[in-house]
Amino acid sequence: MIASFLLGSPLTPLEHAARHILNGLHYGVGLPWAWAIVALTVIVRMILVPLTVKQIHSMQNMQRYAPQMKEIQKKYKSDRQKQNEELMKFYRENNINPAASCLPMLVQLPVFIALYYSLKTFAKNPPPGSLSFLHFIPSIADKTTAHWGGYILLVVYVGSQMASTLFMSATADKMQRTLFMAMPLIFVFVIAHFPAGLVLYWVTTNLWTVGQGLITRRLVPKTPLPELFKRSSRTPPKPESENGAKPPVEEAPKPAAPAGPRKVRRKKSGGRK
Amino acid sequence: MYRVGVAAVWMWRISFGALFPTTCKYHPSCSQYAIDAVRAKGLLRGSLLAGWRLLRCNPWSRGGFDPVR
Repeated sequence: MIASFLLGSPLTPLEHAARHILNGLHYGVGLPWAWAIVALTVIVRMILVPLTVKQIHSMQNMQRYAPQMKEIQKKYKSDRQKQNEELMKFYRENNINPAASCLPMLVQLPVFIALYYSLKTFAKNPPPGSLSFLHFIPSIADKTTAHWGGYILLVVYVGSQMASTLFMSATADKMQRTLFMAMPLIFVFVIAHFPAGLVLYWVTTNLWTVGQGLITRRLVPKTPLPELFKRSSRTPPKPESENGAKPPVEEAPKPAAPAGPRKVRRKKSGGRK
Repeated sequence: MYRVGVAAVWMWRISFGALFPTTCKYHPSCSQYAIDAVRAKGLLRGSLLAGWRLLRCNPWSRGGFDPVR
């Protein structure tokens, strides 16, 4: 109540802007209201493409350094603050641009709020035209749980949110990743109280994230592993040398072995470090 | 007065902030920076600082250690 009073007045222009675009998509383009919301989401995400593509690229870049980053995380397991500081230092030293950033997600917030208020207005004064979506949701302005179709939408929301987390979570920390994956299972209870149109927005934006992730992954070739962790193609695939840490330890006793040709090979692979 | 700012950050954290599976590229994170900023500089200047930090927290910036000075 207080929050809506505080947020309501400065956000009226936002609601008007959203309403203006929705009206344009409905009356101008001729889309039903529900599809106008989907289109609005797609427009927002299209505007954000340069930001998110850059984010995906730096995420791929970061994955090359995942083993080293995991090591840092392990080393400072107990001290979260120190862990973060060390990670930041590591980024700086290796010229890494961390993938995560707050601005792209913040940009989506006003759209979400504007849509929320627009849908509330829709519920009070239904506009002319059908508010249903794909025949299974009678009204996008109603609470999601008002109809059985809403539950289907909620299930799709959880699935899409998990999938987008899989693509966008920039953390290498397994625990944190699991937590993020479990988040929609908790949030679904909050989201269930929102109008179905808002859930539709969320599902669309998640599906966009997944699609974008799939496309960029396909288009951008996987970056090769950094030199430190790359095994030379000439190195015989020995089972012991599979672990990244083993080879240097193994090298010490080997020079004693008189095997000629093998020694030469070792030297080459050893030289690459 | 700064409490209003801190409360706003917490509202963000438990609502939309939790919905997005991303972590900040800076340390301290943007939300923590905002809390530190309004505590140290007051609501107005702190909010401006936090806003500027949010703008800097974009995919092109480098991130890193960046406390409120």
